[in-house]
Amino acid sequence: MLTEELNLNLLQKCADCGACYDICPSCLHLEGYDPRSVIKSILAGDYERWLALDSIWQCLECHQCLEMCFQHYGFENAMTAMRLLATKKGVHPPQVKRGFDMFVKTGRLGEPVLPARKKLNLPEPKNSGKDEFLKMLSVYKDSKAVASKKDAT
Amino acid sequence: MKDFTVFWGCTIPARFPFLEKSVRTVLDGMSLPYRDIDGFTCCPEKSLVNNIDHGLWTLTAARNIAVAEGEGLNIVSPCTGCVSNLATVKSELKTNQKKKAEVNSVFESIGRKYEGKIKLSHLVPFFHDEVGANAIKSAIKRDFRGMKFAVHYGCHMMRPGHALKNDDPLDPKKFDNLIRTLGGESMDYMTKLTCCGQGLDRVDQHENALTMARLKLKELKMLGADAMALCCPSCFLQFDNNQNLMEKDGEKLGIPVLYFTDILGLAMGYKSEDLGLPGHRIDVGPFLKKWEAMNEAPKMSKIQEEFGGEGAFTL
Repeated sequence: MLTEELNLNLLQKCADCGACYDICPSCLHLEGYDPRSVIKSILAGDYERWLALDSIWQCLECHQCLEMCFQHYGFENAMTAMRLLATKKGVHPPQVKRGFDMFVKTGRLGEPVLPARKKLNLPEPKNSGKDEFLKMLSVYKDSKAVASKKDAT
Repeated sequence: MKDFTVFWGCTIPARFPFLEKSVRTVLDGMSLPYRDIDGFTCCPEKSLVNNIDHGLWTLTAARNIAVAEGEGLNIVSPCTGCVSNLATVKSELKTNQKKKAEVNSVFESIGRKYEGKIKLSHLVPFFHDEVGANAIKSAIKRDFRGMKFAVHYGCHMMRPGHALKNDDPLDPKKFDNLIRTLGGESMDYMTKLTCCGQGLDRVDQHENALTMARLKLKELKMLGADAMALCCPSCFLQFDNNQNLMEKDGEKLGIPVLYFTDILGLAMGYKSEDLGLPGHRIDVGPFLKKWEAMNEAPKMSKIQEEFGGEGAFTL
């Protein structure tokens, strides 16, 4: 499952290199954060043990590793794949689910605060694209269902 | 300059309407050609949506771009996350025509068309490249000489570099240039390009988020920064709200956090209220007080009085 998401050849070089350790904010400042151990586990096929750990959520997605990386890959990709897998298995931080649910329900991650706008003399907020977004979402869901049916047959 | 719309995103209108006030005051004050339009949704956020459903992430961002495109407007955003997410999808669709066709086939059902031809900019590079130093200098009434700003870029203003292409992704200069245009000093400091760390608050790791906030704020206190300058609601949340929480716990660092438009707006002569500064949780008073003091003509010292005037021998 994870190997479909990731390019293992690039990841092997990533495990051998580590040039981005000196620039990664979490590597520098959060104790115990060590993406290469995670990557080595992925390559060895025993990554399951990382899924429930805080560690895989500590990548800040600042993209500094991506910019440093001579492969333009960066271990951010490995962390993203691990997060996806953890989310699929339901072992994710509660906030992630709350945020995603709000997004698919309303198309936004928060609504404009009206009383404060009035006080600040700000114009009425424009209409959101919620309805159109929800329509698009249902079309997308249907197309995904069709694609997965095709895969099954 | 082509007309543009401002992509406010979710966080500014939902949590920091006073930042919207600041941006609008400056855009109106400089008579820049923008207008608000209906139809935007969340950009959407990468760490939340892209990590769970890449297809939905692509469609949502592409739809937002198509909404502005339908009105013939460029997009300028005061949120680094929004502009980075939109630009990442735009760059992906530019290089992947098959995906672009897939997006457009879904868009048929909602009557949209994605072309990907409009320009997306973050507010800071936009002021640097499109408004320009001359227009800024002629719009300001007072400058910031003597004031020390710690610029905090915010990762997604210029990264990923392949999508944004607006500055050096590992050694950006434009925000510093703008501070210097306004006469302020842009400090060099060790943690300048370190990520704010706010992402940790979104995955229930509040203590780690504070660790990251402390790192920068402590250095700035040691160096005597007058204010932190940034232009991202997520970084603002990290340094203003979280600094306030630390203050409540007895750890007072006292670094005022200013949005780029707060700084420009003050220089243009706007008052604190016009820029929503009373909404900030960390008191900006000390910054304003020092600025006032710097503006007063220096008093003559005793020795200057004695040596001043006529020479020693009368001619």
